[in-house]
Amino acid sequence: MSRISLRLRVNSDRYDALVEPHWTLLQVLRGPLGLTGTKENCLEAECGVCTVLLDGRAVNSCILLAALCEDRDILTVEGLGRPGKLHPLQQAFIDHGAAQCGYCTPGMLLTAKSYLDEHKGVVPDPDAVREAIAGTLCRCTGYQKIVEAIRAAAAALKEEP
Amino acid sequence: MPRTNRFAVAGRRLPRLDAPAKVTGSQVYGADVVVPGMLWGKVLRSPLPSALIRHVDPRPALAIDGVRAVVTAADVPPVRYGPAVKDMTALARDRVRYIGEPIAAVAAITLEIAERAAAAIAVEFDLLPAVFDPEQALLPEAPLVHPGWADYAALPVLARRGNLASRSCIRHGDVAAAFARCFRVYEHRFTTPVVHAGYTEPRAATARWEGDGSLTVWTNGQLPYEVQATLAEILQLPVSRIRVLVPGTGGGFGGKLRIALEHHAALLARACGRPVKLIATCEEELTAAHPRQSSIVELRTGVSRDGLLLAKQARVVMDCGAYAGSGPGTAAVALQIVAGPYRTPNLLLEGLAVYTNKVPTGSFRATAGPMGNFAIESQMDMIADDLDIDPLELRLNNAVRDGDTGPAGEPLQAVSVAECLQKAADAIGWRERRPGSGRGKGIACGWWMTTGGSSEATVKLNPDGTATLGSGAVELGTGALTGACQVLAEELGLPLQAIRLAAVDTDAMPYDYGAQGSRTAFSVGNAARAAAAELRRRVASVAARRFGVAPDRVTLEDGHAVADADRLPLAEIARLIQASGEGLTASGHFLSPPPPHDPARVENHPLPAWNTPSFHAHAAEVAVDPETGEITVQRYVVAQDVGFAINPAGIEGQIEGGVAQGLGQALSEEIVFAEGRVVNPTLTDYKMPTAMDVPPIESIFVEEASTAGPFGAKGVGEPPSIEPLATVANAVAAATGVRITDAPITAEKILRRLDQQE
Amino acid sequence: MGFQLHRPDSVGAAIALARELGPEARYLAGGTDLIIQINRKRCAPGPLIALDRIAGLSGVAAGDGVIAIEAMTTLKTIERHPAFAGPLGALAEAARVVGGHQIRNVATIGGNIVNASPAADLVPVLLALDAEVELAGPAGARRLPLGHFLRGPGVTAREPGEVLLRVAFARSPAQTATAFIKAGRRRAMEISLVCIAAFLALDGEDRCLEARIALGAVGPTAWRATRAEELLRGGEASMAAFRAAGAAAAADCAPIDDVRASVEYRRRLVAALVPRALQHCRQRIAGGR
Repeated sequence: MSRISLRLRVNSDRYDALVEPHWTLLQVLRGPLGLTGTKENCLEAECGVCTVLLDGRAVNSCILLAALCEDRDILTVEGLGRPGKLHPLQQAFIDHGAAQCGYCTPGMLLTAKSYLDEHKGVVPDPDAVREAIAGTLCRCTGYQKIVEAIRAAAAALKEEP
Repeated sequence: MPRTNRFAVAGRRLPRLDAPAKVTGSQVYGADVVVPGMLWGKVLRSPLPSALIRHVDPRPALAIDGVRAVVTAADVPPVRYGPAVKDMTALARDRVRYIGEPIAAVAAITLEIAERAAAAIAVEFDLLPAVFDPEQALLPEAPLVHPGWADYAALPVLARRGNLASRSCIRHGDVAAAFARCFRVYEHRFTTPVVHAGYTEPRAATARWEGDGSLTVWTNGQLPYEVQATLAEILQLPVSRIRVLVPGTGGGFGGKLRIALEHHAALLARACGRPVKLIATCEEELTAAHPRQSSIVELRTGVSRDGLLLAKQARVVMDCGAYAGSGPGTAAVALQIVAGPYRTPNLLLEGLAVYTNKVPTGSFRATAGPMGNFAIESQMDMIADDLDIDPLELRLNNAVRDGDTGPAGEPLQAVSVAECLQKAADAIGWRERRPGSGRGKGIACGWWMTTGGSSEATVKLNPDGTATLGSGAVELGTGALTGACQVLAEELGLPLQAIRLAAVDTDAMPYDYGAQGSRTAFSVGNAARAAAAELRRRVASVAARRFGVAPDRVTLEDGHAVADADRLPLAEIARLIQASGEGLTASGHFLSPPPPHDPARVENHPLPAWNTPSFHAHAAEVAVDPETGEITVQRYVVAQDVGFAINPAGIEGQIEGGVAQGLGQALSEEIVFAEGRVVNPTLTDYKMPTAMDVPPIESIFVEEASTAGPFGAKGVGEPPSIEPLATVANAVAAATGVRITDAPITAEKILRRLDQQE
Repeated sequence: MGFQLHRPDSVGAAIALARELGPEARYLAGGTDLIIQINRKRCAPGPLIALDRIAGLSGVAAGDGVIAIEAMTTLKTIERHPAFAGPLGALAEAARVVGGHQIRNVATIGGNIVNASPAADLVPVLLALDAEVELAGPAGARRLPLGHFLRGPGVTAREPGEVLLRVAFARSPAQTATAFIKAGRRRAMEISLVCIAAFLALDGEDRCLEARIALGAVGPTAWRATRAEELLRGGEASMAAFRAAGAAAAADCAPIDDVRASVEYRRRLVAALVPRALQHCRQRIAGGR
């Protein structure tokens, strides 16, 4: 099988990647692009650790053909924030102990970002947050500190000009 | 209620040290490892539960373009290994014993080619009879899973015969005589299914042979030193020729204790002369990893008229699958669990680990805890109901107290089960136990060990005045290593941010028994304390010379050595030590010896008396839909004796996560077998709780200080997943009158029982 | 033939491609099921014809009498669409409980229908709305009732090369409501053990003008419980009548035993949840008065 060249826009960077045409976005991110912040586990959209944003919306990168993502905006955890300039969600996850093993954390952060971006200016109640993140499994935290962190981040984002 | 805390760093809610790396995606996990020139490996697994292997033909695989190596049992020294019984082989030799057993492995230039090639390997089998039920496996006519069992090496303490991989016993008093005198004797049977630890990062390993013939392995396993020792055994290499690195681990919960894919990676890498990486698929995780044993607990308990426990007899059967794995230890530890934190003058407890032709099992958070606790704490409620005694009162009346002895006759100290029970009951509002139709509250208590094993740690004073902790223990995600760093920071008078944690590497890090058994913060923390004491002596000696005072006048505060008005920054002391040659790296070690016990009470038990036991009680409120049986856990409370809360936020995280796992086992999770085949090998049908399934969880710390732990701490990590199963069972029974004795407690089971009652 | 991905920009081009590529080719909508199949096999499938670049195949057209949902409309769009906030609320209720947000941002209503899973959550709602599907293929366009389109697990009346364009149904008049209920072991990320959609129309005296009840996961396809519907027609909208309808639906359904639930439990759920769905409808009508 011959590889095809894909033009992808990830975290505002342009990449030209040589990929198998049936590869998923997850395979391309973790393989040729070396962006291993996006995690791999079940490969059937059940666990959510592979969640990235596609044009601002949370998607399971494990079941999305990379070839369908050309010319769209992809955001991974590497583009969310960096030390010294963390996204409020990242800071809240640190402050509230919302990351334990951390393997679901990138996907959880982006799941939460997608939701908060869709509900700007609102601090969601705990049940709404639980519904928002139900597609991303965490086995360490029991979700409570994640819920607290997301609500704290929503409050911080609301204060931002 | 605010705690008073005399410490600056220990006991504080501080962010974990690895949090920034984890929220930015820069933390590297075993599954992320990429090595130059790396190939991909895939394991061919048995499609049959019991068969002789007549022939393995690798040629069809080798003929595929891009395949670089195939290894079979013929390429592996005939070595059997295993933590309790040496019954396993790296690849099946002559015989397969479960569906999923590795037969061969392939390395290829892509994962897809490796998978295609593994499927192309031709294997001819002769079917053999199989046994899937542990009770049937114990019958004399059952086919032997290991006809050669008698020739296997095993821990000397174990008693084995045929399909019985081990039998342990705790006995004291005379149960037969006591039962004859009891007011009532209750007999019940409880069962639990196989469940998976459910770590979100699949097991992965990468192996590379170095130019000098040594082996480097990157893994996400929990125990690098055990991986090293097991690889040395399998490959017949000196231990020192194997270097194991653990860059990061995405959860373990016991499921990553044992060697997983490391040996296959090493064998393939040797065969093809290139580094090889393997990563488990979700299906491999659910069919061929190291899940928790299924269990049967038969419990016979005799009581006096006022509900005092007089005698308890138990038979615990752990189905350890095709290889013993952690089964013998689990069956043995189940005995302390079924004895429970209760005074019982007559005990006869028997634990059996039994071979069947199913996936071999391992450990999962508090090994036998949930299974044994489900049995005894369900039965306590059944006894209370029958005697018309409040379940809380029944427990309080029987609870062990300071100065009592445990089941093996060991002295019990810092006992807090009554306090935990009372606090959990108060928090859930116990007085209103049935607050409405279809609603009910349940309570359960238990105890657990702080696992022993030795720890060694190094502390290096850096020239910038910070310190680096070196340990062979892996940070699984629990935060235990941040806890150990808090202990160290406290001892060195440094803020937590001034402590760095070194990477885990068996070449560079001292030995540790490893991240398991609720011991990590406790044991590594103590080793770090010992190392810190040694480093402090050196620092004090240097500072004392500079200050012109006696070394015992020098203390460490805020990154300085201080004596009266004299202050010297640690950075400067570090540079002085670099020049003086007294050594910037100090080491310390720790071993928690178990308490003395009465050997006459135990037979063939590898862990007869528990180190630094912890006590805990859980309470829950549930609502059950009478038309569908659907269960809603509305509130959940945990009162846990942590001895001393090294990091309260971290401990809450352990409690909340442990409860969520326990609720999964209580309500939704089970690996279902049909004739030895897993019928639900996907996360669609292996149902771990989502955020919508976990209720708010309230954590209450009880701090009955231990004598052995750092600042009085006790083991914390495993206990929270012990009691949820029994707690939910008891709450459901309070809500509906239906008692479910076979986990998980599903809506379907409740509704069936409600229908039967009508 | 190896894997190829085609992205035609018109329905006509898609159909022409399908003809050219032959029976191995498959249309790709959101891919939330198809790509999982590819991942499981880990092998390259045959050619895929992605429908994502075809203009006009996504969106909700809420006309005067008829509402049409284009096939590539995502479940998230349906979940959030104002057209499904009132009497047609069951569509949003069903969309909202499919997978997590990540799935719903991608999965389409067309895929949910064409995939023909007996447990597809939106299909019972569409059946209860008497929806029709519109297809285009080599032989031209056609419309047929959704109930005729579904033939069995994974089997539909779709001819080779046919593309599902949209699904359409009549706007609900006043005094009507819909409801959707699904049962699973967890509260999210579940494949329905049973899913139930109800449409109820009442007169001013609380009598049933019409009841339409559709059930998922209790038969080879989602289906209409017509005997239960008949029991209700013209009668009083009471809990007793709803229970009788539930009992009839439970007696008529044909569930299977599997690892998720037994036949008996699925029947019990039908008996319990059909009345509950009807009761939700009645309460919604009362609330709207």
